[in-house]
Amino acid sequence: MEDEEFRAAVREWLAASLSGDFAALTGKGGPGREHEFVAERLAWERRLGEGGWIGLGWPAQDGGRGLPWSQQVIFYEEYARAGAPGRVGHIGEQLLGPTLLMFGTPEQKARFLPGILSGTQMWCQGYSEPGAGSDLAAAATRAELRGGEWHLNGQKIWTSLAHMADWCFVLARTDPKAERHRGLSYLLVPMNQPGVEIRPIAAITGTSEFNEVFFDDARADADDIVGAPGDGWRVAMGTLGVERGVSTLGQQLGFQREFESVLAQARGNGSIGDPDIAARIADAWIGLQVMRITAQSTLGPPPGAGPRPGPAPGTEASMAKLLWASWHQRLGELAVDVAGASATQTGPDYDLSDAQRLFLHTRADTIYGGSNEIQRNIIAERGLGLPRG
Amino acid sequence: MYETDSPEQAALRDTVRDFCRRHAGGPTGPAWQRLTGELGLTGLAIDERCGGMGAGLAEVAVAAEELGRILLPVPYLSTALAGAVLSEGDQEAAAGLLPGLASGALTAAFVFTGDITVAGARLSGIAGNVLDGGEAGVFLVRAEGKLHAVRAADAAVTAAGTLDQARSQATVTFRDSPALATGADGDRAEELMRVLLAAESVAAAEHCLDVTVAHLKSRQQFGRPIGSFQALKHRCADLAVEVSSARATARAAVAAAAFGQGDLGVLAPLAKRYCVDVFWHVAAEMIQLHGGIGFTWEHEAHRYLKRAKTSQLLLGTPAQLRRLVAHRAGLY
Repeated sequence: MEDEEFRAAVREWLAASLSGDFAALTGKGGPGREHEFVAERLAWERRLGEGGWIGLGWPAQDGGRGLPWSQQVIFYEEYARAGAPGRVGHIGEQLLGPTLLMFGTPEQKARFLPGILSGTQMWCQGYSEPGAGSDLAAAATRAELRGGEWHLNGQKIWTSLAHMADWCFVLARTDPKAERHRGLSYLLVPMNQPGVEIRPIAAITGTSEFNEVFFDDARADADDIVGAPGDGWRVAMGTLGVERGVSTLGQQLGFQREFESVLAQARGNGSIGDPDIAARIADAWIGLQVMRITAQSTLGPPPGAGPRPGPAPGTEASMAKLLWASWHQRLGELAVDVAGASATQTGPDYDLSDAQRLFLHTRADTIYGGSNEIQRNIIAERGLGLPRG
Repeated sequence: MYETDSPEQAALRDTVRDFCRRHAGGPTGPAWQRLTGELGLTGLAIDERCGGMGAGLAEVAVAAEELGRILLPVPYLSTALAGAVLSEGDQEAAAGLLPGLASGALTAAFVFTGDITVAGARLSGIAGNVLDGGEAGVFLVRAEGKLHAVRAADAAVTAAGTLDQARSQATVTFRDSPALATGADGDRAEELMRVLLAAESVAAAEHCLDVTVAHLKSRQQFGRPIGSFQALKHRCADLAVEVSSARATARAAVAAAAFGQGDLGVLAPLAKRYCVDVFWHVAAEMIQLHGGIGFTWEHEAHRYLKRAKTSQLLLGTPAQLRRLVAHRAGLY
């Protein structure tokens, strides 16, 4: 299918599908609004799966559609343009799926990929711990193999969407004697079991999308380990940043929408007549163009079909993260400054406006997924070759 | 999108880089003669029938980047751009100028500012801050949107002392000076000059960052290379992000200039503002991160700082270009 034909097909499907019960989902969910329409968005995931819109770039023999890079980008662009709801299944589709495609056994692929592709099985990522944030290799959650099962004990934190997830991929220490990175394994753990407890973390917005996850003798099947015991670090790092390029270009359209709504408010309330606000709006627009141009030039298509193979991504991903996280945070600050005094009042029950939510939630952008400081270390050490401290 | 050099552009870049290595710091006259006569760089965008190389603006940008990387003090930008824009205008009118520009025998400067009036085929008025104006043989003067060529001999040229000593400026006075209507678009020429300044600035910024990072790796204090201190590393990382995004932005602007990809009216001022601001930031950090040595006349850092500030303040200041971009993008 030609690209433009494909674009038309995506657009048509989205328009037809975002109707009826799903019409209310337009613009809902996503970072900062994960608490919205949970059940409906889970149903939407199944709808996406039925439509064949999950795993677009995955190889056909693994159940994907093997679509070229350009069409994957088109899908994300049209998805953002239509204001389709924030995904719940993206952690499975963009993180676990590519990991299994690269490191999973045929049995693991057969067992887990269909649930991701059909939008029926949700995943969360069990990496960060209270004592292992930026220093992920310090992860202390333990797993022991006894009686044909892994027994997990420990705590994960900042686990996005854990309360909506059926499964968690967990970085756990299986060899307490091995040095840091080498003692970790990548385990697949069902969430719905007595040994798993999820506690939501109320964030700065008053809503919850991050959680604490406690493992108290939680069990995983002996075969549900990706790679060999002790391979966990290599497996986890091998897919960091995989597929991000494609979704980053879609993310730009989401940013464009947010910018336009700030611009509309500035026009509406006259604050655009303030020279300082006008200058910041122009700078935000210029920054958006620079980000888009940079993303297009540095995030080329992967060398082959399917997910980009390892090794760990270069510094482009770190550069893109620094650019967008800082830009987005400034847009959030601009949004409330444009709103002015009205931004100091909320609705009942701390109901926030879009501007307030953007302002508050973007404080997380420069922290999660590798803080700005960690990204700068990566760029300085791996990109510029400056010595480690 | 035009992202990387074509094989021909890569070869051109190597040639110019090699040339720069051998002529950096040497006498300007012989460098200009070789750069034009032997390498034909001012004729890159001029048709072969007029003595040029028959390439285009993308190739001019490659040469401008490499010459700008070492701040070679030659009037390349204006002369090469003159070849490009005159080739886009009335070929017959330009026929008397193009061979000289291609061979380097004739150097050019653009007059975009000042209050210039046209009466018949004569120009009058005064223009200041004419870049590359000190040594220009012909002035291409924007009046009523079009470029008019005036021989330097028919104008009064006062060369100025310049903050950036590698690029001349002049005040030029026209008094009923005979002018040739070239038919070339003066507004487009101004946008193209902005694009070339953006491209040149990125290359210069890359150089400043490279030199600074090398210094941080070798300079020892407190018994270790100062580049191992996070306070300095993080600043370099931020500069690397800026330079990388400026590189992409300049390329997008060159693509708009050379191949009509994208909106030149927005991209040219946007790229000029962003890329030169980045250059300015890197040059300022270069001095700070070099410490005292960076403040000396002997070290090259001050030459980059001065070039960056000069490029920032000419052809639209950052504040002016921000308003221009906002206006052209329809923001307000």
